[in-house]
Parts: sequence; structure tokens; C-alpha cells
Amino acid sequence: MSRSDEETEEQRAWRVLSEAGLVEIRLDEFAERIRDVKRTVMIRLRELMDFDTGMKERESAAYSLGTLKGLELKVLANAPKPPDPSKL
Amino acid sequence: MKSTAKRLGRQANWPPQEGEIISVRSSTGLETAILKEVCWGLVWRDFILEDGRVIPEHRVSGCPQPHLWRKVEEVTDREREECEERLLSMAGAGMDPRKRDQFFWAELNQYLAYTYLKFKQAGSEGQDSERSQTGLESRSSSCESNEV
Repeated sequence: MSRSDEETEEQRAWRVLSEAGLVEIRLDEFAERIRDVKRTVMIRLRELMDFDTGMKERESAAYSLGTLKGLELKVLANAPKPPDPSKL
Repeated sequence: MKSTAKRLGRQANWPPQEGEIISVRSSTGLETAILKEVCWGLVWRDFILEDGRVIPEHRVSGCPQPHLWRKVEEVTDREREECEERLLSMAGAGMDPRKRDQFFWAELNQYLAYTYLKFKQAGSEGQDSERSQTGLESRSSSCESNEV
């Protein structure tokens, strides 16, 4: 029996998110995690476009990409500035 | 919503009721706090404390195993869009998700988890995204009261 057969849906979701570092995002990793999720959405969007299927999911993916991009920009803009090495 | 939450794997005495003292795992260890309300997010429940902090259910002591999470297909487009609007609004207002256990931190965590699960699963399983959501129950991401 494979691992996926033994897992419940909730356990699988927990494992997938844990492996992706998304159950509780470390405070210094938000921008990186947003990029990871964007990458996942882009891969899926490319699949949908290649096979010319899933119009509704395509729209949803495109919308999510726009949101993620907006969030990434804002989070990066609001990021605490690293200390200026010349002042150390 | 309330009835759905009750139906789904609710254990006796779980979730705790408003006003109860609960134990939560924080960065400094286990601490007690007063529960204000419990809200469903896109994936899991958040426990809102009297002091304003937002704690994911899995960090609350006594949380049932396995975790009771929503399925991605239970989240409606409208619900997702509202979440996205709130996130962009909070980000636009200069809020910082690096403030742990605050609303923006909590909602962004859930949104990224939901989005990742949604498109990762769809990609790996080749699901037909055009499937109708008709008949799928919806636990919208709203707060519930906790009377038993």
C-alpha cells in the first residue's frame, strides 16, 4: 500500500503544506513563500493553456497570480531594510 | 456554517466556547489566553483571542487529530475573491505580515496554503477544473459561535 493510500485527505494536505513550509510561514520567508506559490500557480496555468482546457480554473489561476504579484510587491516594499553595512 | 462545523468531526467540548481559557503554543512556549471567537478561514479555523491575536487551531492545546480542514473545492469563488480583496487592502495599508499572530499574518498564511493546495492538487491529479461545485457544501470563512 502506498503512502497516499494510507493517508487521509487532511493528513495529505498537512504533509503537502508542511513540506512546502506553508503551515506556518516563518516571518522572514513570506516573500519567498509567495514566490513559491506563484510558481505553482504558473505551472498549473501553463498546463491549462497547453491543453486548452479548464477555462474557469484558468481565470481563477490568472486572478490568483495577479493577487500574489500584488502581495509580493507590497510585502517586499514593506520589508524591514537590512542594516547599512557602511554604518556598521 | 455553524451546523456544518458541528457536524464535521466535532469532538465533545471542541472547539472551546467563547470566554473559555485555552492553552496555545506560542513562540515563547505554552501560554493561556481567553478565547473570543472561532472563525473558519480558507483552510483551517482560527481562534481569535481577547487580546486580538489570531491563533491557528492546530496551535491550540487539545486540538483534535487529524486536523479538521476544509477541502479546497468547498471554498467558493466569491469567498476567495473577498479574501484576496482583504489581503490586498491590508497590504496596501502598509500592514506587515511579519507581525506574528495578527490578522494579516493569519489571513495571508491561509491564502497561500489554500492557493498552493488548490493548484498543486489540480496539477498533480489532473482534475477537471470545470467541474461543477453544485452540491458541495460551503463552510464560508466566517466566525461561528460555539454553543454546544
